[in-house]
Amino acid sequence: MTSTEPLLAAENLTKKYRDVVALDDVSFTISAGITGILGENGAGKSTAIKIFMGLVRPTSGSANVLGQNASTTVSVRARLGYMPEHDCLPSHVSAAEFLTHMAEVSGLPPSTARTRAADTLRHTGLFEERYRAMAGYSTGMKQRVKLGQALVHDPAVVFLDEPTAGLDPVGREEMLALVRKTYLDFGISVLFSSHLMADVERTCDRILILQGGRLVQSGEVGQFTKDTETVFIEVDTNRDQLMAALERRGVIVTADGTGLTIEGPDESVYDHVRDALVEAEAPLRRMAPRRRALTELFHREGDIDSGAAS
Amino acid sequence: MSTEARQPTDTATGRGGTVFDIGYRNYTGPREGRSRARSAVFKDGIRTALALGRGARAKILPWSFIAILVFIALIMALMAGAAERYGGPGVAEQLNLPSHADYYGIASIVVFVFAAVVAPELLCRDRREGVINLYLVRPLTGSDYIMARWAAFLTVMVAAVWLPQVVLLTGLAMGDPAPAMYLRDNWLDIPRFLAAGLALAAYATTLAMLTASFTTRRAYASVFLVGLFVITTPFTVGLASEIEGAAGQWISMFNLTNIPVHVNDVIFGEVSTITSVAPARELPALVLVGWYFAWTLVPGSVLLVRYRRLTP
Repeated sequence: MTSTEPLLAAENLTKKYRDVVALDDVSFTISAGITGILGENGAGKSTAIKIFMGLVRPTSGSANVLGQNASTTVSVRARLGYMPEHDCLPSHVSAAEFLTHMAEVSGLPPSTARTRAADTLRHTGLFEERYRAMAGYSTGMKQRVKLGQALVHDPAVVFLDEPTAGLDPVGREEMLALVRKTYLDFGISVLFSSHLMADVERTCDRILILQGGRLVQSGEVGQFTKDTETVFIEVDTNRDQLMAALERRGVIVTADGTGLTIEGPDESVYDHVRDALVEAEAPLRRMAPRRRALTELFHREGDIDSGAAS
Repeated sequence: MSTEARQPTDTATGRGGTVFDIGYRNYTGPREGRSRARSAVFKDGIRTALALGRGARAKILPWSFIAILVFIALIMALMAGAAERYGGPGVAEQLNLPSHADYYGIASIVVFVFAAVVAPELLCRDRREGVINLYLVRPLTGSDYIMARWAAFLTVMVAAVWLPQVVLLTGLAMGDPAPAMYLRDNWLDIPRFLAAGLALAAYATTLAMLTASFTTRRAYASVFLVGLFVITTPFTVGLASEIEGAAGQWISMFNLTNIPVHVNDVIFGEVSTITSVAPARELPALVLVGWYFAWTLVPGSVLLVRYRRLTP
């Protein structure tokens, strides 16, 4: 694989389970960085991850990871890490013993596996507890071990399935910080699957939004919110006159509580606002640009889809 | 990637040292792929079966069975030794005291219970706790996993059935007035008990692993297996004794504890104490061996297919 090749590439990927279409003709590429896969339960996130890991064969299309098909080239999995959403830790062994074993199962020689396990536990914040049986661990500690086992063999890319599930607010903050650190400090690219939009927005550089097995949006997180930028204007009086004056100038404007919201403004809209304020003789109280949160955007996409379906 | 240094100072001497946090280091060493993965699962299987690296309580069960198996061999060796000592040379053979050919028949029920209790530990826990999901996303297929686990338990079982035979051989040789002569006259028993032990271990391992693959609860698998071995014995023995002829012989073939013992008889060329009353002993050796392979290879194939299809 060359440095210009994407880490993951899906081309016309379709997966059907009898009558259920889990993924429907999905194409995308993912390069180095932190990428979020966002979608509700059943959107096809886990199916996509399983296909990339070579655990499930697609009905049609192709899915390559690090330039190879993991279902036919099992060895490529030595460069992949996976942190599942559900419990996956043996209760009777210590974190150190478990990570050492998992490093060996990933192909590392035994002596190196021990060193890597200790280092990884230190980086994930579990160094002091590493010799205790995992049955006594808290949810936060278990999540750290789950992340640790996914990183212990130093993969090129790691798949994180709902890494903040079951964590309290403090634990969630720490886990999101670890996810950022995984890419920024360790250099391991991350594919972050979640249904928590706030987590994805705060952690990821890029997102893919899946809905009903289809890719409905993809791109940079910053670009997403920039595209949905609005300007909120609040005036003391003559709001309706201002709205009419803006509409006459071709500006898309909607009433929003006591003020007005202008969708997708470009630089020229501010001149129109100035002129409309003068024309409507409306005293300006407040004018501020505002970006939609990803949460808001996702719900909007959902509304569009349900509207189209009906 | 980052390197930070702290400089703690020893207040007594006034000298300072430097502690470096060398940060995260990427791994650039060898990656040994599937072979290392299979070897790691195999080693872990042996450790799990024998409870190595775990507390004393976990060790009680597997090591008790091994101790019982050795104890049976020890008793047999002591009986033969006592007969030779108090009855004179050759008395043990004249009394037809149980020996290598009889050991597996006598100990088979202990071997089966050992397999029933310990084998599920290698599979059920991984599936119940979800660890299997982590194995399957590594450079390891479901087939690799189950073959490594099967090989691990087979190794433990082979060691557990060979060890008592070695003890018995040592005991019989030491009890003989001329140990070297005894070994020279009976050396053929060594490859025979090795082969018969391997057959018994492979059969018990495969059936126990297959049963364990159907449940995530170790207790269910163990109870089912013990029931299967313990219940089929009196049922088939009773029914076969009532029905004579070929039908009785074939009913006798369904005595699951006797299947590998018949192979043992074929290998040693004599009927052991346990199978001497089984009507199936009269069937041709080819049928007995074929029946054994059917009961080992078919469950083995089902086990392999079940794990080949497994996805997290």
